[in-house]
Amino acid sequence: MKKKLLAVLLTGAMAASLLAGCGSKNADSKETSKDAGQEAEEPVTLKTVSMFGGTDPNKEAYESINADFMKENGNITIEDNSQTSDEEWKAAVNADFSVGNEPDVIQFFTDATADTIVATGKLVSLEEIRAEYPDYAKDTLDTAIEASTNTDGVARAVPTTGYWEGLYCNKDLFDKYSLELPTDWASMEKAITVFKENGVIPIACSLNNVPHYWIEYLMLYAAGPEEYTSVPETAPEGWVKGLEMFKTLRDMGAFPEDTDTVDDAYVGQLFRDKQAAMQLEGSWYTGNIEDTENTVVVAFPGVPDQKAEAGSKVGGISSGFYITKKAWDDPAKRDAAVKFVMAHTSQESVQKYWEATGAVSQTATETTPVENASPLVDSIGEYTGNGKVIVTPTDSRISDAYKTLVSEIVKVSTGAMTAEDAINETLDIVKQLQ
Amino acid sequence: MLYKKEWPLLIFLVPGLLFMMVFLYVPFLENIKNSFYNMTAVVKMPGTDWKFIGWENYKRMFTDPDVRTALINSVKMMVLTVIFEVGIAFVLAVLVSQIKRLQQLFRTVYFFPVVISATAIGLMFKLFYNYNGGMLNQILEFFGAAPVNWLSPELAFLMVCIPTLWSYIGFYFVILLTGLSDIPDDVYEAASIDGCSRFMQVFYITLPMMKPVFFTSVTLAVTGALKVFDLPWVMVPNGAPQGVTHFLGTYMYQQSFGLNDYDYGSTLAVLIVVLGIAVSRGIGYLTDDPEERKERKAKRMQKKALKTAGKGAA
Repeated sequence: MKKKLLAVLLTGAMAASLLAGCGSKNADSKETSKDAGQEAEEPVTLKTVSMFGGTDPNKEAYESINADFMKENGNITIEDNSQTSDEEWKAAVNADFSVGNEPDVIQFFTDATADTIVATGKLVSLEEIRAEYPDYAKDTLDTAIEASTNTDGVARAVPTTGYWEGLYCNKDLFDKYSLELPTDWASMEKAITVFKENGVIPIACSLNNVPHYWIEYLMLYAAGPEEYTSVPETAPEGWVKGLEMFKTLRDMGAFPEDTDTVDDAYVGQLFRDKQAAMQLEGSWYTGNIEDTENTVVVAFPGVPDQKAEAGSKVGGISSGFYITKKAWDDPAKRDAAVKFVMAHTSQESVQKYWEATGAVSQTATETTPVENASPLVDSIGEYTGNGKVIVTPTDSRISDAYKTLVSEIVKVSTGAMTAEDAINETLDIVKQLQ
Repeated sequence: MLYKKEWPLLIFLVPGLLFMMVFLYVPFLENIKNSFYNMTAVVKMPGTDWKFIGWENYKRMFTDPDVRTALINSVKMMVLTVIFEVGIAFVLAVLVSQIKRLQQLFRTVYFFPVVISATAIGLMFKLFYNYNGGMLNQILEFFGAAPVNWLSPELAFLMVCIPTLWSYIGFYFVILLTGLSDIPDDVYEAASIDGCSRFMQVFYITLPMMKPVFFTSVTLAVTGALKVFDLPWVMVPNGAPQGVTHFLGTYMYQQSFGLNDYDYGSTLAVLIVVLGIAVSRGIGYLTDDPEERKERKAKRMQKKALKTAGKGAA
């Protein structure tokens, strides 16, 4: 009898412990639904998600704008879940949209990366919002709105800042070896040869990890903007010619000896430690440069027989704030969501974001220039203000398929695979995903 | 039979079974299903459709040169784990079991790498191997030698194997040492009286009596080699350099989460599971005593005959 009682007690305890989690969840959801009932009258809780979390340089500005916003709007509580953007985060966002757990406001990509969440039909268009709130995104420049239009041609997001990609150079190393900063392929070739001879790594790049910027510029300059911005059926000549330059550069000894195994953070350190002379990077990299007196940014020097005009650059605006239909269709949340996006995209806030990233990126509103800029910032101003063509990178058009291209670059650079095969493999995936 | 009634035991076994079903078997069945579809995202998004592609991924898998590299590397790793992990662990275990003093110290020292995370070990060895300022090249530089690219395509596989094998020797060392301690001392004493040397005792007593422990160790080592992932991924991600260090685990991860080719990644996962089952069954067959196998077979036949006779009588 005692044994039976013990068995029953143990079984009961086990069942209770198993169900405990579910029980408390039920209690929570009851409380939430009760809150939701009250929210209709006064307090509003906005669920927000952004890329301005983790180690993102915009994190501080984002959080301070949120804090000010909650102070000004006492009835609005922000439940924020921001993280640095990576593949896991993108997958989590996709999963949330697929199961109906999308946030009220999300700051996300506007290019092909957003195609999957755009396809769910859960994002509200600017046209629809402006029909009711004519002042929505009033500070944002029309060109910025146009640049952040989704791939289906509909504008949904309000952007803050953009980016550019350029060639960072350790000017002191160029001076040491009496070299001119590269302005064309001939000067680039000379710089690579001289640096190589003197034991300096000419170009800091990890082909196995982040060859992205080189892919972009080599293809842009070899193909010209028109062919570069197309999504062809099969490998175009210009793209092939561009990627073939990886082998030329590798054979010249332009990349680190261990470029096939090191990562981007490591080659970045080589550049900043003056062990490497040049690094092709994005505007976000400026914040990592300590020696702002001797580091400058110049335009990509080009490739032999290039088709793009000298000074052409890769960049653009690729993210912005979206309002989801979940918030828009909820009368209690609609106004709060609109106010939230306007708080983050006003001229004052964009200035904050701009300064947080070194005041060197493209902005979606007018901005006031910062005083006492370093030679690095001056060189960036000169580079970005050259008035030459600016195009968005290939991944903004072919999304996930781009990763296949990136993964084949080492093989292309060694000659184990032809550039044509690598591009065709990528374009096949583009077709499969369509 | 220890317990008269089985149902209370079943009650305690069912939650574990359910847990395994929900978090292992159902997802695995889903994984098999996914390998036949062209997945456009990790989850099926509303408004999108996954196309059924039949055996396409399996056809691709059998012609993919990177799968061939990964498979060869995984098989090489299996052989190396048996020779170096279990082999070295056995030698160390025999030596440590023979000493009276400092045995505890050796146990701790050899087991220690097992408790360090593979990521930490991977990063540590990566720093050793770095071309620019890595520890090994600093030593070479000190002696006036030119730096070596330790992770060049020619050396990378070997360089990845060293920490992978080293870090798990302690695990098998502990298992084998426990097995050794289970052998009664009087067997050795009797052998000594009969004039058997210590070295010969290893061959005539230790090895035969350790057979079940060896079987467990070899099965764990070989199936573990199929799952090798973390250390190579930290040291040489994406099969770097030039895809020569791909293992099945790293290649599956790269396809699934690096290139977002989830369906092909699912196909590779099926291959890993099938190979794991086949290899462990193969080892079971190879290490099984043919006499015992015959006996088991005879018993089964006898049971079957009795059953048939019973049915006939009824």
